[in-house]
Amino acid sequence: MLKRYRYKSLLMTGLAVYMSLIAFPSYATKEVTIAVYSNFSSLDPYDTNDTLSQAMAKSFYQGLFGFDQDSKLVNVLADSYTVNEAGTEYTIFLRKGIKFHDETDFNADAVKATFDRVTNPDNHLKRYNLFSRIINTEVINSYTVKFTLNQPFSAFINTLAHPSAVIISPTALAKYGKDIAFHPVGTGPFVFTEWNATDYVKGKKFDQYWKKGLPKIDTIIWRPIIENNTRAAMIQTGEAQFAFSIPYEQAKLLEKNDKLVLVSTPSIIARYISLNVTKKPFDDVRVRQALNYAINKEALAKVAFAGYATPIRGVVPAGVDFAVDYGPWPYDPDKARELLAEAGYPTGFSTVLWSSYNHTTAQKVIQFIQQQLKQVGINVAIEAMEVGQRVARVESVPSVDDAEVKMYYTGWSSSTMESDWAITPLLATSSWPPKMYNTAYYSNPVVDEKLQQALLTNDRETKKILYKEIQDQIWADAPWIFLLGDKQLYVHSKNLTGMSVMIDGSFYFEDIDLH
Amino acid sequence: MHTNGSTTIDVTSASQGQVRTPWREFWRKFKRQKIAVVAASFILLLIVVAIFGRWLAPYDAENDFDYMLINEGPSMAHWFGVDALGRDIFSRILIGTQLSLTAGFFSVALGAVVGTMMGLMAGFYGGWWDRITMRISDVLFAFPGMLLAIGVVAIMGNGMINVIVAVSIFSIPAFARLVRGNTLVLKNMTYIEAVKSIGASNWTIIMRHILPGTVSGIVVYFTMRIGTSIITAASLSFLGLGAQPPTPEWGAMLNEAQADMMIAPHVAIFPSLAIFFTVLAFNLLGDGLRDALDPKLDQK
Amino acid sequence: MLNYFIKRLLGLIPTLFIVMTVVFFFIHLLPGDPARLVAGPEADDTVVNMIRHELGLDKPLWQQFGQFFINIINGDFGISIRTKRPVIDEIAMRFMPTLLLTLTSMFWSVLVGMAIGMVSAVWRNKWQDRLGMAFAVTGISFPSFALGMMLIQIFSVKLGWLPTVGAASWQHYILPSLTLGASVAAVMARFTRSSFIDVLHEDYIRTARAKGLKESVVVIKHSLRNAMIPVITMMGLQFGFLLGGSIIVEKVFNWPGLGRLLIDSVEARDYPIIQIEVLLFSLEFILINLVVDFLYAAMNPTIRYQ
Repeated sequence: MLKRYRYKSLLMTGLAVYMSLIAFPSYATKEVTIAVYSNFSSLDPYDTNDTLSQAMAKSFYQGLFGFDQDSKLVNVLADSYTVNEAGTEYTIFLRKGIKFHDETDFNADAVKATFDRVTNPDNHLKRYNLFSRIINTEVINSYTVKFTLNQPFSAFINTLAHPSAVIISPTALAKYGKDIAFHPVGTGPFVFTEWNATDYVKGKKFDQYWKKGLPKIDTIIWRPIIENNTRAAMIQTGEAQFAFSIPYEQAKLLEKNDKLVLVSTPSIIARYISLNVTKKPFDDVRVRQALNYAINKEALAKVAFAGYATPIRGVVPAGVDFAVDYGPWPYDPDKARELLAEAGYPTGFSTVLWSSYNHTTAQKVIQFIQQQLKQVGINVAIEAMEVGQRVARVESVPSVDDAEVKMYYTGWSSSTMESDWAITPLLATSSWPPKMYNTAYYSNPVVDEKLQQALLTNDRETKKILYKEIQDQIWADAPWIFLLGDKQLYVHSKNLTGMSVMIDGSFYFEDIDLH
Repeated sequence: MHTNGSTTIDVTSASQGQVRTPWREFWRKFKRQKIAVVAASFILLLIVVAIFGRWLAPYDAENDFDYMLINEGPSMAHWFGVDALGRDIFSRILIGTQLSLTAGFFSVALGAVVGTMMGLMAGFYGGWWDRITMRISDVLFAFPGMLLAIGVVAIMGNGMINVIVAVSIFSIPAFARLVRGNTLVLKNMTYIEAVKSIGASNWTIIMRHILPGTVSGIVVYFTMRIGTSIITAASLSFLGLGAQPPTPEWGAMLNEAQADMMIAPHVAIFPSLAIFFTVLAFNLLGDGLRDALDPKLDQK
Repeated sequence: MLNYFIKRLLGLIPTLFIVMTVVFFFIHLLPGDPARLVAGPEADDTVVNMIRHELGLDKPLWQQFGQFFINIINGDFGISIRTKRPVIDEIAMRFMPTLLLTLTSMFWSVLVGMAIGMVSAVWRNKWQDRLGMAFAVTGISFPSFALGMMLIQIFSVKLGWLPTVGAASWQHYILPSLTLGASVAAVMARFTRSSFIDVLHEDYIRTARAKGLKESVVVIKHSLRNAMIPVITMMGLQFGFLLGGSIIVEKVFNWPGLGRLLIDSVEARDYPIIQIEVLLFSLEFILINLVVDFLYAAMNPTIRYQ
């Protein structure tokens, strides 16, 4: 009996030692592991389209401009800038005394090298279209650089603040060429050490970082964990100190854990259902409005997002520059039935709803929509599409006549934080698939015209008026069922400070520290 | 000794008007096995539910919902609780029986028929036949099942029938290899030599003398495959390729439950149990059938 | 005998060629344009065309096939569309974790499965049999993602004994191999049982018993070899399946293996990776089957290969 007990206690001691090893990483060197929801596609921000890879690359890279914790546009590597009268020439004055990780000086040559690379179509970079308006980047002197655009583009500074618009060491660019994606060299707080494609990206503290005293930790590790429940488990075991995102369903559970802090923040991701306005019955504005009235967005937030979402209050998500607030579209099934009857569908109709995602939240959303529309007599067949199917059946469709899409559940993140990128790709006539993402095939000459005008002026007041008129028109035309803006949920351990998820789904981690 | 060893199990000839027909012989042995009888009854019950589920279910599986009760545990009104969209899980399981059983059974049946024929030919004739069959089965095997299924469904379109086809392809090579292995052993047995020597045609030898010898293996594997196939079909539903929500296919229900299983385990437990008991029943029935079909296990 | 195996090895080549052709046309039939997928929804038409051209996907299909074929013969396996790393690197770095996981899972599950199967066969219809088969049925009817989640919840989250994700240490192997092996053990148990029951009723076993040999000798010396034939077939099959990387288990445990690579690649329509990976799986499969056939012959001298 005694003997057996001894074995047991030995085992327990062993386990305890082992637990402390996995649960509390050594504090002598401060190491933070961040568990994220998706694989990284590339460490070259110009050659990737996913927010997450770009957000992670901010450990190594910085742009001329950026967004602070509150998503306000701020100067980063730029000191100031001026624009010419016509709005086509932007002169940027650079910050001095900054070095890249490879000791190269940060100056106008570096800026030119970076932008010459992306604007050259021969480099086949995926962010080419974001910067294709730049026709020339000119070095005025060591710390002054001038961008010339092919036409006035008032959102240009926002474009330069986009997470992809970072400055790469020209020495490294010359050295690695196409392989720069595997050897990121920037001015950021961490020096790249390893990208193990199966598991993690690792960076160590950059000792010569231009912001004195930062970063406060020694090592940063980004780990993609795709399975939701596994990611949530990892933060509970202490294998990660920060996890984003967290499944809505588990928020309540994690909130109770006294070692963890659960945070929910608003996002600029808007969830909507586009209605193909070229197809019957969605060509009738009354039908489109009826659909908006028929859906209880509050209940949707509760059912599919565990309450971590709020009804959309306009065409452009709140927080994006020039967004207009109309308040949520009211839930009124009687009004919906009335409008349907007026439009000639007193007994409703049958249609098809596709979802551009097939994860569990999306499946809940489309089933909920199906249940709701049934209440006003509309029978909806639903289908959650796998990504390849989505591309084949929606995004690559060559012309509007071939388009089979009717109702389409999707979402959009206005990553440049201004209204043009929130409207043009989704609702301008020039953005019909396969060009861009106008899956409603919405086309309104007034809207198109004013979107153009807004880009041509640098006067905030004029822009404000133009964007208001655009949004008024779209809100009235209702080419979408305006649903929800989801909140972002993340969890960090109590001893981690200075890291948060920003409104556009990227991270703020300048002051990251472990206590 | 077992003089009529190879013919007693020829179930298809049950109509012959003998006193001890093989069918009766089988039944006599089968009903001695209590557990298998219970399993068979359970499967019969499942079939009844599959046919009449629509009328037995207390609620509509797709359209009755109550957002006030989301993820509510079992109660008198909702025996198995309520799911994440406010629907009655008990009703969904009853109605889903039809889909899950159909998918499980037909996909394996299709695979078994094709695979068995391939295996018999390969094992018996050897040579070129063997090489070609085994090559096809190698290719089928080596081709990752999920990729194949995604392909089949992506090319043919979403829906249960395509899922059945896709899942049946998973089963073909397994049956082919299994039957081939048995055939290789059987064809060198003395009784086959004997039948050959009296000038029976190859077809007769294969169908009447070798196939029966492989039946017990096929039956055991068949029953096991049904469970696997139900789970495979579920995985496909998960990839958005099988039954589309809100269809209450068990696998689809289980996959939908993934998000909520940590906070409301019952949404995952009941569909799991439904799958579990169904597979259990098929396996136990398979064992019973096996014993009843095996001539070597004649009364001791 | 040796001739036979040399012939079989040569037979590899046409099989691989068939696989290559099938997989090539098959993936091109899948809906979804890789260029657009990799460019993402924020890219416009110009960028998509640019990428399509860069990937050579704007060429006619037969030309692409010819190129693919020539490249493979020259040992050039291409570059991943999604990650831009060489395909061979992508596969190489995931091969070992999947192989090790497969081996550990196979090891315990075959041992346990066969033990249970033998016990069940010998004590047929006794409580040992019932217990063993109850285990086996549970093993095959429990969906592996649910089992994996449950193990993580219990051993990592609640008890804190084992790590959840990754493949860095031996502890990392415990939970995934339990999850992966459970169904294999169950299949092995059932198969061993049924195969043993068959053999235990053969005439030569009766003879052995009649000679008055001890039951343990009968079981181990006389039955084991013959009962092993179907069991080995099954083992080969299961081994091949696992080597392909279990998509679900690798996803749940974030395992850095081939299954996860395949599902990611299919999702991104990463043609080069899918092609080479499927080719690799075929090769593994055929080799395993060859070994199985060899073992057949070793165990049962009545089987002759010409």
